[in-house]
Amino acid sequence: MATLDAAAKKQGKGWQPALLRHEVLLAVILVIALIFLAAQTDKFLTTGNLLNQGRLMAEVGLVALPMTLIIVTGGIDLSVGSILGLCAIVLGYSWKNLGVPLPLAMVMALGVGTLAGFANGWFITRVRVPPLIMTLATLAFYRGLAEGISQARSVRGYPDWFFQLGQGDVWGVPTQLWILAVAVVITAVILARTPFGRGLYAIGHNEVGARFSGIPVDRYKLIIYTFSGAMAGLAGVIFVSRVSTTRSDMGTGLELDVIAAVVLGGTSIFGGTGTMLGTVLGFIMIQLLKNGLALTGVKGDATIVVIGIVLILSILLTNFIQRRRSGNE
Amino acid sequence: MLTGEPSPLLALQGVSKSFPGVRALREVAFELRAGEVHALLGENGAGKSTLIKIVSGVHRPDAGQLLIDGQPAAFASPLDAQAAGIATIYQELLLFPELSVAENIFMGHPPRARLGAIDWQKMRAGAEAILASLEIHDLDVSSLVGGLSVGQRQRVEIAKALSQNARILIMDEPTAALAEADVVRLFGIVRMLRGRGVGIVYISHRMEEVFELSDRVTVLRDGAYVGTRVTAATSRDELITMMVGRTIDQLFPKSVAKLGNPILELRELRRQPLTRGISLTLRAGEIVGLAGLVGSGRSELAQVIFGITPAESGEILIAGEAARVGSPGAAKRLGIAYVPEDRGSQGLIRPMSLCHNVSMAVLGRLRQGPFVDQGAEADLAERSIRQFNIRASSRDQVVEQLSGGNQQKIVLGKWLATAPRILIMDEPTRGIDVGAKAEIHRLMSELAAKGLAILMISSELPEIMGMSDRILVMREGRLVAEFARDAASQEAIAAAMMSDDAAAAEAGAAVPA
Amino acid sequence: MSTASLARGSSNALGAQLKRLVGGQEMILLLCILAIFLIVGSLNPRFIAERNLSSIFLGNAYVAVAAIGMSMVIISGNIDISVGSLIGVLATISGTLAVNGYPIIVAWLAPLLIGVLVTGFMGYLVAYLRMPSIVVSLGMLSILKGGLISVTSGAWISNLPAGYALAQLRPMGVPMPIWFMVGLTILAAWWMRYTAAGRSIYAVGGNAEAALLSGISPRRTVMMVFLIHGLFVGIASVLFATQLAVIQSTVPPNLELTIITASVVGGVSILGGAGTVIGSTLAAVLLAAIGSSLIFINLSPYWLRAVQGALILVTVLADLLRRRRQARRR
Repeated sequence: MATLDAAAKKQGKGWQPALLRHEVLLAVILVIALIFLAAQTDKFLTTGNLLNQGRLMAEVGLVALPMTLIIVTGGIDLSVGSILGLCAIVLGYSWKNLGVPLPLAMVMALGVGTLAGFANGWFITRVRVPPLIMTLATLAFYRGLAEGISQARSVRGYPDWFFQLGQGDVWGVPTQLWILAVAVVITAVILARTPFGRGLYAIGHNEVGARFSGIPVDRYKLIIYTFSGAMAGLAGVIFVSRVSTTRSDMGTGLELDVIAAVVLGGTSIFGGTGTMLGTVLGFIMIQLLKNGLALTGVKGDATIVVIGIVLILSILLTNFIQRRRSGNE
Repeated sequence: MLTGEPSPLLALQGVSKSFPGVRALREVAFELRAGEVHALLGENGAGKSTLIKIVSGVHRPDAGQLLIDGQPAAFASPLDAQAAGIATIYQELLLFPELSVAENIFMGHPPRARLGAIDWQKMRAGAEAILASLEIHDLDVSSLVGGLSVGQRQRVEIAKALSQNARILIMDEPTAALAEADVVRLFGIVRMLRGRGVGIVYISHRMEEVFELSDRVTVLRDGAYVGTRVTAATSRDELITMMVGRTIDQLFPKSVAKLGNPILELRELRRQPLTRGISLTLRAGEIVGLAGLVGSGRSELAQVIFGITPAESGEILIAGEAARVGSPGAAKRLGIAYVPEDRGSQGLIRPMSLCHNVSMAVLGRLRQGPFVDQGAEADLAERSIRQFNIRASSRDQVVEQLSGGNQQKIVLGKWLATAPRILIMDEPTRGIDVGAKAEIHRLMSELAAKGLAILMISSELPEIMGMSDRILVMREGRLVAEFARDAASQEAIAAAMMSDDAAAAEAGAAVPA
Repeated sequence: MSTASLARGSSNALGAQLKRLVGGQEMILLLCILAIFLIVGSLNPRFIAERNLSSIFLGNAYVAVAAIGMSMVIISGNIDISVGSLIGVLATISGTLAVNGYPIIVAWLAPLLIGVLVTGFMGYLVAYLRMPSIVVSLGMLSILKGGLISVTSGAWISNLPAGYALAQLRPMGVPMPIWFMVGLTILAAWWMRYTAAGRSIYAVGGNAEAALLSGISPRRTVMMVFLIHGLFVGIASVLFATQLAVIQSTVPPNLELTIITASVVGGVSILGGAGTVIGSTLAAVLLAAIGSSLIFINLSPYWLRAVQGALILVTVLADLLRRRRQARRR
């Protein structure tokens, strides 16, 4: 976290003071929410519950990382939930129906996710289909493939070792939380410190200007959409391992949670601004919101309402801050 | 007004306007009478665009008064200005390609039938009547604007202005993108409107047009009012002096450099639609000026050389070796740098800091392992600030807060950081103040003396003539004339630009084979 | 060159007018629909039996009606991905009102009013607070969907009062959904083509800055579009609610996608500024025919969505390529 903070501060110098404030604001709200929830119910602030929340958070978190990169460039990927579902089906179907060894099936699932993301990126960069439309179409297409391949039949009966990924612990911490932590650190450093990350910000602010500066805009975009597909695939494998079953409707609505987390974390949907630290705070916040509401007796579906409201309010807030800042100049 | 003359249609008194970091207009006066063509002259960045945006209600003045028929007027929006009879034809024509000619003409105020429906009969008839009154008989009012030529679209714009009963018509460089035949027709229309008592504010860079068309001329320089002259009683030299404020020699300190080996050679370079077989040679230490009208294919050629729109056929030789320039990144690696025409959208990432902009093109080199070396990046920024005399509060200042001249120096700094062998500069001094302009010219001279090969695209003939060792003229995607520095004259270059081959040859141009 | 194109232009004035009225896309769609009926009908005559035809047309008329409003939203340069959830919510409200003894006219009109309020709220956020429509409608989607399921748990609403079933009426022998689909399509097409307000949608979607300088307020236009969209969504939801004897109080799966697909396949440009509602209605019919034909050629309905997704991709690509060709010709 310390390195993240430092990176964010470096980024925040000069042109992003408001953004830094946004993250501080978010962190403060997070702490208040924690205290409030802890006071509401003693079931909340227990190591067991928090670690379990981390387990539940991993899939959204993993997909939110590439989504941050994509939204920083001013794009969007609505197909992540469908890619997750497709990869889950590829995993289950190839193992159960085609008799592929499970480790190979896992690799295949990741491969299909990567390919699905690559296809998005290819059409977006080569044919210049707007990302919104492209991924809306593949939202349907990939989910359709998942349904078509599986014929809506679920797959169960995975061997025990497979559950280590989604249900097991390493040194007392859920396995997927380790994976998430590593992924967070790597993507955060890439975004904040490498020429690639800088290029993504440049693309988000001014794509033509970035192209005229010799930044390989299309290649960068292709990379992030492909990465998004790969991470959705990874999240799909973890999801299957966590819930012990494969269904074609897995990951439905995932894009909402993910985009809400990224936008809540202060990344502008118009591109150019945003940090990984913000996204991390964003998805932690959403998970705590869900958990807290559940613990205080709110049903699962009602939490979606809250996420929707939080999403709209957070953009209103960002807009408000930006407008006030530009008014000051 | 004491003499009993009618009040002028439009008068501006002491109008000032500032934008963040730029003082666009300082106490400017302007007056337009009915039935007059009043030319507005000034270099790029002199404040002409700001002035017309104030008159057309896009901007509000910070100080000063705007009088319509002698009455003070305040426009809150373009709509108010329209209601006051002011119509503006902008450089980039604001038409809707998916809609028909008639709809475009009546956009915003279509004739209504019952139920708020558009009365299409009346609209088509009205559009036809307006076009006929302008003696335009070759436009079908129901064809889509998207399929029209630039000249045709401009005539639609004029008809649109008239449909609003405009008494004041502002034309911002109307001939910039026009072919010769369209220019002639435009002049005919302008004279016709003048005869009907319409007051016309005519903005142009071209002296010839000003003398041919206007009754009076007002000159702006650096946002300030310089003076107004009756066209018939002034001369080209007087106007140029008023515009520039000094003589050409002072402004362009090009020293003659020793020319080295050919660095860039183009052979029959082609890319549809505007690069049609270009061959040229650029030597180390040489500044080649590329003249031509807007739309003649100069920027397109630059973008082919720089790999933004790679060539479809032909050869590019860098220092004698055949090179494939498939992307700006490849061009950069080959030592080509391009300072583009549009700073705001192409040259800079405006919301990012000075430091991040200067390092943008060399991030691949400023590395420490896989990471950006932030120390080296800061050093580079500080070096650029010193070397180019960039006036900014710190290297972390956002570039959009800086003036045009400083922004241009940042673009230049960004590209010189790549240590290029070939520098293409597209309108290098457009829209920047005279001081910064001189600095950039001095810099170009120094760079050439150090052996850099510079290809300079400019629409300002004095700049072309002052800075270039050699002058090439482009027209309709081809090189049509070449002048040695000493053999060039404004008239000859202009003639070559405007497709008057005979006159150009007479004036001593060598037409390349 | 310009004279040649002019001559072509004026001699083709009538043709251009005709072509514009029908549009290339509409003709193609019509041919596609006919082709599907012919081919699938010859493979399996039951496909063109009256029962199936009426299920294709009646069961999907509400999609066509909603696609009209959606087309306007997309032409104005925005999008609404909450439309499916909104239809689910409005249908549930309508059914609940009817079951609880409110006058039937109230059950019919309340969804219209609430639909306008909801889309008006979104329109306000988009037009006046400059929030991107994608995020606003994404948030609205989750609010509506989550709210609906958490309140009703997806329960079935039955025992609807007699006289409530608007969609089952047959004035002059023609089913009500057809009246609505055809009537509203013609009305909207006329309005968009022949009124100043209708044309301003194209202007704003095509070039917002130019529209502003022509004295059209992009904000007001976008707000208006969202309000009208709400009205169409309200009507669509009543048709949806009244077509069967029961209403399931959930969000019909993928409905927003079907509606957006109908708009885009119908020739509404995803980049804004172009398209017609006649095309979107034809596309809604085409999509329904394709969906139905998959069953009749024994393809599993589970492949339906994959085909839909592929279809939207193909049409989007065709639209982009067409525009690029046009741009090159200029």
